[in-house]
Amino acid sequence: MLTVVDTDLGYGQKIILPNISLALNANEHVAILGPSGVGKTTLLHHLYQQLAEQTCLCSQAQGLVDNLSIFHNVFIGGLARHSRWYNMVNLLLPFTQPQQHISAICQQLELTMPLQKKVSELSGGQRQRVALARALFQQQPVFMGDEPFSALDPLMGVRLLNLVKQSHQSVICVLHDAELALAHFDRIIVISAGKVALDANANQLTLAHLSQHYVVADESPHRAD
Amino acid sequence: MLWPMNRLIVQINPNKMANTASTRFFPFIGHWQKITLGLFLLVLVCWFFADTEVIALEPWAELGRMFTGFITPDFGATEYLLEAVWQTISFALLGICLGLLLGFPLALAYQHPLIAAMCAFIRAIHEIFWALIFLQVFGLSPLTGILAIGLPYAATFARVLADILQQAPPQTVFALPKGTDRLSALIYGRWMHMYPQIVAYIRYRFECALRSSAVLGFIGMPTLGFYLESAFRQGHYQQGGALLILFIALIGTIRFWAKPAMLWVYLPLAVYFLPELPVLQPQLIWRFISIDILPPMLQGQTLTAWFAADTFIAVCEWAYELVRDQVWPGIIATLVLACCALGLTHVLTLIMLPLNTTLMMPKWVIMLMRGVNLILRSLPEYLLAFVFMLLLGPSMLPAIIALALHNSGLMVFLMARQSDDIIVPLTYRARLDHYSYVVLPAIYPHFMGLLFYRFEVIIRETAILGMLGVMTLGFYVDSNFAEIRFSGALLLLMFTAGLNVLVDYIARRLLQAPRDKLQAC
Repeated sequence: MLTVVDTDLGYGQKIILPNISLALNANEHVAILGPSGVGKTTLLHHLYQQLAEQTCLCSQAQGLVDNLSIFHNVFIGGLARHSRWYNMVNLLLPFTQPQQHISAICQQLELTMPLQKKVSELSGGQRQRVALARALFQQQPVFMGDEPFSALDPLMGVRLLNLVKQSHQSVICVLHDAELALAHFDRIIVISAGKVALDANANQLTLAHLSQHYVVADESPHRAD
Repeated sequence: MLWPMNRLIVQINPNKMANTASTRFFPFIGHWQKITLGLFLLVLVCWFFADTEVIALEPWAELGRMFTGFITPDFGATEYLLEAVWQTISFALLGICLGLLLGFPLALAYQHPLIAAMCAFIRAIHEIFWALIFLQVFGLSPLTGILAIGLPYAATFARVLADILQQAPPQTVFALPKGTDRLSALIYGRWMHMYPQIVAYIRYRFECALRSSAVLGFIGMPTLGFYLESAFRQGHYQQGGALLILFIALIGTIRFWAKPAMLWVYLPLAVYFLPELPVLQPQLIWRFISIDILPPMLQGQTLTAWFAADTFIAVCEWAYELVRDQVWPGIIATLVLACCALGLTHVLTLIMLPLNTTLMMPKWVIMLMRGVNLILRSLPEYLLAFVFMLLLGPSMLPAIIALALHNSGLMVFLMARQSDDIIVPLTYRARLDHYSYVVLPAIYPHFMGLLFYRFEVIIRETAILGMLGVMTLGFYVDSNFAEIRFSGALLLLMFTAGLNVLVDYIARRLLQAPRDKLQAC
């Protein structure tokens, strides 16, 4: 689906990940792990820019517009499917059809409050689900997320991850929860010290393998050291 | 695991921190204190050159009558009162709308240096001068007033809206679905992020437009300023007092009567009740742009004759004399006046700010100060200077005081809410020492930013004071217009605009410097 060969990644002049090579296959669920600040987001944003035509991005910063309702924030995911005039009118007078569609998505994501509620009034977990709803509303084959379940309780996180997997051919996520990654993803990529430290099938790995490359989730009782 | 530590030490060792002369001798003088001291030094030098002689007049009789007029205002004396209020509002409203219509698209193209330069140029010329220019073309038509407000406001909107939109967080636009059209991306991704700031700014500009609209009355537009000036000039202070109180009330109650939803009522009314537009006379416009604005020796000449050696030399001499006799003295007087006013504004604002924050004062003092601020910022500088001139005699002093009072009223109005929002530790007590340690350092960078922006505004405002006889650039522009020497007026305006653009550029550079360093006071 996408191959990255010997690419330097970073912001502006500052290179964080030199000489990165990676190949992503279609129909594959990939988790990207690693210590914080190592450049996982940089890598994900690079992958997104390469695949933007068929990908939705649910970034860590979420990019929600505080002054807009839940409905409009989710609708932003569908901007490209409509003409500019449709989008402008919808801003003032929301159309029924996208309302029904978005309402259904929000139900699936266990967002039960009225759609006209402003995003600024929501809790952290609710905001994260609005960001997820926006990504789902894009209806793309590839989903990319930057810790998209971090503010949810673990059980809900698993439920929503399964929902995301059902609606996309391939899911690529930056995660900090190593157990979630091992249990629900096909392939694990560990970034550490500026390079791809590990790239293998999830069913061949255990937490012990991962902890050779970085300190896996401090609070985890399974720490193997 | 030892080597990274070594590297860390090596990185810190070449101590970049404390080696400059200023940090060695004045270790606690921070960036903003240096700027402040520099500003005071500049003001001191300017004050030395400024004409601040107090000529003791006998103004008490006149001031007494003014005061009596104020406390016994005569609202019934003028049947045109409502008419004047309505015209003031309608010019302001239509001017703002025109400004938004032109300014919004310009804001989107503002990154282009040519657009930015053009806007800076248009912004640099005071509404009064735009009005004087349009007056020659359209006469005393409503078009003159609306264009005179709309054009410079459009240029200001372009810059400020571009600045505001730039502050929108970039993540939304980054994650937008591929193929989103540009308009939707702008509105959903950036505009809606900043919507409250944009509305608040437009409302603030509407207040400014009301003032501008009133001031246009000084050159003959049928707004409040026209009746205000004639009342004061003729000594009808009861009428003048009524007009002033009305104007202050108008500005003080904006948030009650100028709601965005009401726009759809006011706007059609403003258009409907516009004074009749006189028929445009194309030959008049053509004459203005083809003959009047040319230097005298070029008027009536063919284009080829322009480049004949003797004509060319004559034009150069004409320009040289103008620059020597009017531009230079005008620029110097403008800068001296503006610097003195800036210094006084700084001091006055610092004094009034603690009186206006809930962190220092009980509620009733703040309510009282709000009233004082409202009066200070609503009174046109022209009128303030006029009163001070009666008191102190004709020098730069009345103009300096008028500019400083007006601008510090505005600064306090804009800063007070910010200082109220500061989160203070539980140990905080409403005392001057606590205020100086906790509140002032937090708001000072923004305060200085606003002050430098006001400097640009003060320079522009010296224009109106020129019409009172203070020999700034505005004085020379005004006299050139009065003597129907449009070419001279336009040349002076070019220099005025150039001066403003330069000052704006320097102020921006001064403010940008600390962004790389720690923003300590």
